[in-house]
Amino acid sequence: MELAGVLFFPALACALSLSPLGGHGRAAPVTLAGTVIVFVLAVRIAIAAAHGTHVEAFGEWLTCDGLGALVLGLVALVAMTAALFSWSYIRIRAAHGDKRKEQNYYGLYNLFIMSLLAVPVLANVALMWVAVELTTLLSAFLVGFEDTPEALEAAWKYVVLTTVGAVLALLGFLILYWGSRIAGAAPFTWVGLVEAAPHMPPALLWPAFLLVLVGFGTKVGLVPMHTWLPDAHSQAPASICALLSGVETTTVLYVILRLLPVVGGAPTLDARPWFICFGLLSVCIATLLLVYVRDFKRMFAFSTVEHMGIILVAAGLGGAEAHLGAAYQITGHALAKSFCFFSAGSVAMTFGTQEIASVRGLVKFAPLSALALAGGAFAITGAPPFALFISEFLIFKAGIAGGQYLTIALLAFFVAVAFCAVLYHVNRMTFGAPHGHPTLAALPWSCKATLVVAAIPLLAIGIYVPVVLQNLLRAAAAAMGG
Amino acid sequence: MTARILYNLLQVIFVIAFAPLVEGVTTKLKENLQSKRGPSIFQPYRDLWKLFHKDEIVSDYTSWIFRAAPYVAFAAPIFVALLIPVLTRYPLFFAFMGDMLGGGFILALGGFFATLAAVDTGNPYGPMGASRTRMVGFLAEPVFIVVFLTVSFVAGSTIPYIVQLRWVTPIASFFEPSHILLMSAFLMLILAEDGRIPVDSPSGAFELAMIERSKSLEYSGRGAALMKWAGAMKFLVLICIFLNVLVTPWGLAAGMQPIEVLIAVPLVLLKILGFILVLVYIESSLAKLRLFRITEFLGAAFVISVVAMITRLSEI
Amino acid sequence: MNNPSMAVIFALDALTGAVFLLTTLGVVANRQVLASLQLFIAQSLLLTCSAILLGIATNSLHLFAVAAITIATKTVLIPWVLRHTVSIEVYRTREIDRVLNIPSSLLIAAALVVLAYAVANPMLGAVHTPFAKINLPLGIAAMFLGIFTVVVRREAVPQLLGLLALENGVFFAGVAIVPDLPVIAELAAAVDVPVVALVVGMLTRRIHVRLGTTSVGRLIALRED
Repeated sequence: MELAGVLFFPALACALSLSPLGGHGRAAPVTLAGTVIVFVLAVRIAIAAAHGTHVEAFGEWLTCDGLGALVLGLVALVAMTAALFSWSYIRIRAAHGDKRKEQNYYGLYNLFIMSLLAVPVLANVALMWVAVELTTLLSAFLVGFEDTPEALEAAWKYVVLTTVGAVLALLGFLILYWGSRIAGAAPFTWVGLVEAAPHMPPALLWPAFLLVLVGFGTKVGLVPMHTWLPDAHSQAPASICALLSGVETTTVLYVILRLLPVVGGAPTLDARPWFICFGLLSVCIATLLLVYVRDFKRMFAFSTVEHMGIILVAAGLGGAEAHLGAAYQITGHALAKSFCFFSAGSVAMTFGTQEIASVRGLVKFAPLSALALAGGAFAITGAPPFALFISEFLIFKAGIAGGQYLTIALLAFFVAVAFCAVLYHVNRMTFGAPHGHPTLAALPWSCKATLVVAAIPLLAIGIYVPVVLQNLLRAAAAAMGG
Repeated sequence: MTARILYNLLQVIFVIAFAPLVEGVTTKLKENLQSKRGPSIFQPYRDLWKLFHKDEIVSDYTSWIFRAAPYVAFAAPIFVALLIPVLTRYPLFFAFMGDMLGGGFILALGGFFATLAAVDTGNPYGPMGASRTRMVGFLAEPVFIVVFLTVSFVAGSTIPYIVQLRWVTPIASFFEPSHILLMSAFLMLILAEDGRIPVDSPSGAFELAMIERSKSLEYSGRGAALMKWAGAMKFLVLICIFLNVLVTPWGLAAGMQPIEVLIAVPLVLLKILGFILVLVYIESSLAKLRLFRITEFLGAAFVISVVAMITRLSEI
Repeated sequence: MNNPSMAVIFALDALTGAVFLLTTLGVVANRQVLASLQLFIAQSLLLTCSAILLGIATNSLHLFAVAAITIATKTVLIPWVLRHTVSIEVYRTREIDRVLNIPSSLLIAAALVVLAYAVANPMLGAVHTPFAKINLPLGIAAMFLGIFTVVVRREAVPQLLGLLALENGVFFAGVAIVPDLPVIAELAAAVDVPVVALVVGMLTRRIHVRLGTTSVGRLIALRED
């Protein structure tokens, strides 16, 4: 029943936020309470999944295995911290005290969370597609929430491009269903598809795979379909950026990863080279763009493209170790990237700008934001002792063990360049000599609280991975067919 | 054998005799649709009669081309009428003298001479119309070629008599996408080739906007009559190709009996009347395109014909 | 296919497909916003026709449901939504702002249709599904043309219509290849389409109000220098 609750409580929170009960600024605590409940439920599901249970509800309409539970847990966690961050951030910076606008924000926020949570738990693949499409549509107005020309432009590109991608993926899923019917009467679920895959004509399975890879790859932000991503992820309010970059991309990538065992089931097909090619291309282009970036929210957006590429390469390397690295990378990225956007949002709020060149000497004016930004930059670039260091290490190790020297060499090179680029920009922002005396806004309490709360899991899993999480990661890696 | 020769000549007489009538009916219907009374449907015959009885004036500066052009233009549709099915669905005596491409070339020859003659005069509007006609011609040519190639690919032959039967046996092939697409592309071609709206206005009297009609502005008397008649015949021949080859062989004579062929005359005229109704509707509901928009119109026709070819090649 | 009535349905479906393709080409190539909208409605009606024909041929109730949903959402709901969210001046635009001129876009469109057949052929060779022979390539062609429209148009509403034409293309292929998709999935997918129209329409309105233009292709504030 936890699975149903995960979808029910955001809906309830949405209704409460929009109703008069959510007036007078009560929508924020209502939403926070809703996301805390969802997080508790998600943790229970994740623990069950880590013990190897296949969680189910409503017959077989809602299911969750290891990989699904991992994504579910991450979405719930980031949704909770982002709701906390929103509390005062949205009131001050985005809604400018407009109560009605604030209520609308939380209404859409809860629906968006619900659609994100629905992706890993819906069993029927066609319904899952609808959930993915809804994540775009429901977040469109959140991206354009600040109503500036740039925000609206970003929202437009986001909706149009990702919807085009989603429709391509829909054709892919229809072809998959066509193939599974030819192979026999398997249900249109991930499990059913994996079972049907060996009997499907490869001539159907292959175009279906490519359509989904390219279509949903657009939403993940894979190069060359990434053009909308830096715009949307830099113009949305920081709390939404954290969700978009930290978990929305991962949620859609989850769908692509699900195809790995399906395509792997067909004897003559091999999806892995495509994963590696797309992944390396994304890492390469994103790294180059990271060097020249001028806007620090855009910088973290490009870093998302880079990390999606790394996860794709890890999935493409194959084998249990690499897949474990991919699962770990997904976890680390979701935690670190959301933290980065919280700190970037705090800095943007303090300085009133997103330009790297305009922010100097952060450590003097806003020590907490400075610490958070520097910490986030270290975490996201994979410096020890953070989780991404371990996951990238795992991936390199698995690749070298598998004899993929060129791939790993390229990957390591780009990761190193990205490390230098991000730290160069962040270093100048943090320690550079300030020009004059900037006018500063005080950081509200909920932003400070979020920076502290979100730092805890980020630091914790880098230092110590609990057994439950280890089991969950192994279960997730197993679901990738590794 | 003699019957086949006779019927073939009958087709020519049909084209010569009814071409002015078809033009008259078109004009009349168009005026009626626009709530005007319009001239009698026999007005083109009276015009021809009048023109033949007038003196002909020829500029001193023109060469033999100017004088020869009306005869060439008049002869071209007559030759084509020998090759295509006008009244019968079986091949007649001269049917194998030339295929559809041959017919196209002969019509193009007539047009070519008319263009040369327009350039031959000192009238500034003639060369202007000639160059515009060539522009439309350049754009229409590829469409013609693709349509003919597709049609002959479908039927395995370029002889129009053989092609026409392909669309109705079995009847389901009438609805083939390639067939429908070819029909629309060819209809657009007829509009362009005969200077109809939206490409050109057949009834416009403003020289600067003319395309097709400005070429015969310098003719008078017999020359003008022949050019006018030739234009009407070309239109009728194009309609016959469209209706009898591309759309349907319905209403054509199936047997060798003279009575059957004679019955075919009113039936074919009826079919042409139906087509004219569609044409008049199109002409009245559209506005004339600006000159450089014609590219888009014919571009669309080209794409449709290419799509028809593709759907055909993938055997739908 | 031995059955004569089946042959007629097959032929009629092929005819529907041909006209479907023509309307899609129209969405790519015409100049007027309102004409684009009307062509989209015509395209949706043809999709309905195909669904009904295939429903008769395969005795599938699902396809009649698809037909009903298509009629309700795409010919009634979406035009209504679009007229009410986007102000009327947008529809009065005669000349559509576009990146390529019409003849070149038409030529590319023709090439895309060829590509669609090339893509569909291996799939059709692998399995025997008679109606897919018509619907799959034409649906993929409409899909390509829809993407092309989104790329080539600069105005908001025509871009959206390209998006919807693309969706129609996928459904056009879908009715032939998956005639028995669970109704709930169909329903959900069909509800999704008007939501797309609603969201994009409202976004267009906000862009119009904020920026005084709907020429979204000319918005270039955000890019790498």
